[in-house]
Amino acid sequence: MLTVGDKFPSFKLQAVKAGNDGLDLKTAFTEISNESDAGKWKIVFFWPKDFTFVCPTEIVAFGKLAGDFADRDAVVYGASIDGEFVHLNWRLHHNDLHDLPIAMLADHKRELSEALGILDKNEGVALRATFVVDPDGIIRFASVNDLNVGRNPAEVLRVLDALQSDELCPCNWQKGEEFLRPAA
Amino acid sequence: MSVESLKSQLPDYAKDLKLNLGSLAAEPSLNTQQRAGVFIASAIASRNPDVTRAIVAEFAPQLSPEALNAAKAAAAIMGMNNVYYRFTHLVGGDYPTLPARLRMNVMLRPGVEKVDFELWSLAVSAVNGCGMCMESHEKVVRQAGLTQEQVQAAVRIAAVVHAVAVTLEAEASLAAPGIAA
Repeated sequence: MLTVGDKFPSFKLQAVKAGNDGLDLKTAFTEISNESDAGKWKIVFFWPKDFTFVCPTEIVAFGKLAGDFADRDAVVYGASIDGEFVHLNWRLHHNDLHDLPIAMLADHKRELSEALGILDKNEGVALRATFVVDPDGIIRFASVNDLNVGRNPAEVLRVLDALQSDELCPCNWQKGEEFLRPAA
Repeated sequence: MSVESLKSQLPDYAKDLKLNLGSLAAEPSLNTQQRAGVFIASAIASRNPDVTRAIVAEFAPQLSPEALNAAKAAAAIMGMNNVYYRFTHLVGGDYPTLPARLRMNVMLRPGVEKVDFELWSLAVSAVNGCGMCMESHEKVVRQAGLTQEQVQAAVRIAAVVHAVAVTLEAEASLAAPGIAA
């Protein structure tokens, strides 16, 4: 599995758009790649299969924090190995997912999950992996849960905050330091 | 409201401030953006509503919207950093090495030339009184090519704007009705 410091793999996937656009067959689909939302931090989280029980709870929880992530110049992508039509149907048929402000990526060919090393060895579906990727495409946080263990999105927000709270002020200069830390 | 109106409000005993304010408003060693930003950031840091309004009215038209925003941002973020880092510098121990865990991302992309933002941060640090902050921001702007004279000009502006704010604040308090002198 890829980890902190690794480059997040390049990808180009069909996706169901966030919000209302993602509920209408005419407007629901788009393509999202590693070059989409350039300059932003990315939160990419995977779940094993659509239409299962643990998933909507944590997806909804990520959705509730979408505004907080946006405030921090971060965009959130949810993903599974289901196809985009399955994602759309799930959005349409699950009340809690109706207003989801997060795009769902369809890693149907499992190429991204494979490249990340997060496919369950027996089931062949993505584990509950979460990645925080910086604007340069470098993974800065990675976690993975067993298939049945849900996540705490507030913890991901806390991690993002910490990652972004570099001390960028020269006031942080300490006597004896010959040069300032570069602004990361 | 303008610099002229501030000058006219200053009492006779503060005539020196009045004359300093007038000459620094056209201080030639700084470029227009640098000078205007130092005035605005220093005014905000000096916390007097009349002074802030007058200085912003006078100097904001000389700045792009991004630069005006950056000058305000310098006063805002240094309002936090001066207090925090002054504490760590003065108390020492392990505090200077503990991560501050404070967001200060505006310093990375202030929306204006980095050196100008640093100069405004320096002026605010002078008003707020953080010694090591002044020392380190001075280092940064000098490394970026500003001269001693330019740094001095920024601090002279900060000093005068601060003094004007103090004086007008006092005059306003004394003029307020219903308070026994």
